[in-house]
Amino acid sequence: MNGVVAKSLATVKRTVAYKEIVKAFWKANPISKQILGICSALAVTVQMQTALVMGVALTLVVACSNLIVSLLRASIPRNIRIIVQVAVIATLVIIADELLKAFMYEVSRQLSVFVGLIITNCIVLGRTEAYAMNNPPGRAFLDGLANGLGYASVLVGVAFLRELFGSGRIFGVPVIPEAFYQAGYVNNGLLVLAPGAFIMIGLFVWLEHTLLEKK
Amino acid sequence: MSSSSRSLLFATGLCIVCSLLLTAASSGLRPWQERNALIDRHRNVLMAAGLVEEGRPVPAAEVERLYAERIRALRVDPVGRIIAESDPRQEAAGLPIYLSMEGDAIRGYIVPIDSRGLWGPIHGYLALDRDGATVKGFAVYRHAETPGLGGEIEKRWFRENWIGKKIATREGTFVSVGIAKGRAEEAVPKEKQSHYVDGISGATLTGKYLSAGIKETLSRYEPVSVKFRKNQLTELGLPSAAAPK
Repeated sequence: MNGVVAKSLATVKRTVAYKEIVKAFWKANPISKQILGICSALAVTVQMQTALVMGVALTLVVACSNLIVSLLRASIPRNIRIIVQVAVIATLVIIADELLKAFMYEVSRQLSVFVGLIITNCIVLGRTEAYAMNNPPGRAFLDGLANGLGYASVLVGVAFLRELFGSGRIFGVPVIPEAFYQAGYVNNGLLVLAPGAFIMIGLFVWLEHTLLEKK
Repeated sequence: MSSSSRSLLFATGLCIVCSLLLTAASSGLRPWQERNALIDRHRNVLMAAGLVEEGRPVPAAEVERLYAERIRALRVDPVGRIIAESDPRQEAAGLPIYLSMEGDAIRGYIVPIDSRGLWGPIHGYLALDRDGATVKGFAVYRHAETPGLGGEIEKRWFRENWIGKKIATREGTFVSVGIAKGRAEEAVPKEKQSHYVDGISGATLTGKYLSAGIKETLSRYEPVSVKFRKNQLTELGLPSAAAPK
């Protein structure tokens, strides 16, 4: 039984889709390896909830725009392809923003302009131009999903550390016992501010580079 | 077909599809969005009146329950008499005002603030105690000020600044509450400190416009405030069973 699983895992590992996903998620992670999308990563990672919603919104936008651009790739005129890609991305972002305003009002207020700024996030246009224009829809969709999740994983990781050590909460629920505070423990105010995010993202970049080099 | 006319055709088609999608999303989701905006306004009325706890998310159902229980939305005419229960769905004559109730007793009143800001209008609420002079709370629900500078007006530290300030002197003369340039303790002489809140550094203009907007709003509500100050609540002419005690 184990042998079958191992064998099928080995076959899965050889597929193009698997390699692409690993690449997007880990070997060429948009934030910690390619240093893209830093602006929003600094702004929305004070709390887990905003980071998670932002990660999901961006994942959906990258995946869908990749899919649409890939479906249209044969008919998009070369000379206006960037404009077409931006139009597709902008439409999806506005729809995502409207959905958040309708169903997650509080979160959308906290995310404020950053959902709209997904349009200018280099990850999205980067994926449509570099990948979706040259690959079939299924793979493009997976690539978008993997890149979005790669972005979201760093965002949620940074937000976890910032919220835990910056405000002593996880998803807004206090997790550090009151006794700690009475014993003199203090939340690290720096982590709530933007420089704290810079330091955290720097640590993530360092961690990833060190782990990759060892392989 | 030449390549440029093909590009043009493709672009036109794309624009039509995109605009149709955006129109559908915008009009299809409007009922939910409007409901959220209404609940958010109610939440801010409650926040100004100090009826919801700070720093804790309040579910929509609780906002609606508290609002129905503790707030009466009314309209007053220019001489400060209540003309009607306010109906949010239609425009009526007079100025909107909210009464903060506890059972049948009026605890205070809340006036909507529509002020000019630096980048756009500032909308919020200012709650006053039943003495007609003491500020009970301040809340902003919509503004376009710079985040981190003028945007601080919606933050807790700034809002808490307002609690206990006086819009009138002890003799009952209207002066409004202004926003000082810098800390009120340092920027304003001691006898005037009860009429000033701490300013926001880097947002002098936001403070200036908001001070002017609040003064203008409060002066329009002055007839109501005078009735509260003189404790002539029966003069308000509050309709229905909930007559003031």
